[in-house]
Amino acid sequence: MSEALVEEQAQAAETEDAERKIIGFFCRECAYAAADATGNARISLPPTIRSVLVPCTGRVSPLHLLKALADGADGVYLAGCLVGQCHYREGNLHAIDRVEFARALLQSVGVEPERVQMFTMSAADSPKFVAAARKMHETISNLPPLKRK
Amino acid sequence: MPLTARGEAIFERIPNSAPRESTGSIGCEIVRHEELCIGCARCASVCPTGATETSGTFDPMQLFAAPPDSRRGALGEALRKIARHQPSGPIEVPGRVSSFRSIVYEAEKCIGCGACARICPTGAVEAIPVSAAEIASSRGGEAA
Ligand code: SF4
Ligand code: SF4
Repeated sequence: MSEALVEEQAQAAETEDAERKIIGFFCRECAYAAADATGNARISLPPTIRSVLVPCTGRVSPLHLLKALADGADGVYLAGCLVGQCHYREGNLHAIDRVEFARALLQSVGVEPERVQMFTMSAADSPKFVAAARKMHETISNLPPLKRK
Repeated sequence: MPLTARGEAIFERIPNSAPRESTGSIGCEIVRHEELCIGCARCASVCPTGATETSGTFDPMQLFAAPPDSRRGALGEALRKIARHQPSGPIEVPGRVSSFRSIVYEAEKCIGCGACARICPTGAVEAIPVSAAEIASSRGGEAA
């Protein structure tokens, strides 16, 4: 998936209106399967969540995370495979470190690092997928809207 | 132009030494332009002395100084939009993040070989040749 396409989807998702906006980058192998199962079970996600499908969380760079925040999201999170079960071997490990890096960047300029988070789950673990979305929703709802220049 | 620290040490050992004209130049003075650096670490990988090394930290100010059309510049633009204050200093970089690391250069260890400048893809490292005549005159002698 091209970088432009990822950003385009993120932007398209951002233009729909709702109070707070949270972008979730979901890995196609695990999180998206869990999201499918969630949909099939007719469990609804918090209205703040907008999803972006990525082939692997390892595709997401610090730029995707911060650009989402800079262009309208109040929070952004990654949902990928369990550690050791990445379908591309180590993509999620790269993602974990990039999330940590993005959080350190935010902290250094006085922005709450909780706005960027990472979750891992198996393809069958729809409850964990829902829990991640709700946790993110709760975290962001408790923070003030992100101010931009 | 000053001689590199290592070059200075070599000349110290030879009485009345002055560089020979035939060499044209001896070593280079290294000037780094951090704002152009993309963090590829090629300079550190070719440096024979360890004068140029990849560090475990990154200064977010480097993002703001980077060219706007670069990857670092784009990240800097996004960060500037949401920043509440100036970066509070260098941050620790997790192990798997490789391209956002500051490069440290220690002139004391540098022999002025210029390998770092030759391999740098962005022109972030400048090697300025030091001419034999300049070194000779800085040491109070004449090039032989
Ligand atoms: S000039 Fe040579 S010794 Fe000096 S930093 Fe560059 S590669 Fe290392
Ligand atoms: S080779 Fe150039 S761009 Fe790459 S890390 Fe060294 S200074 Fe930076």
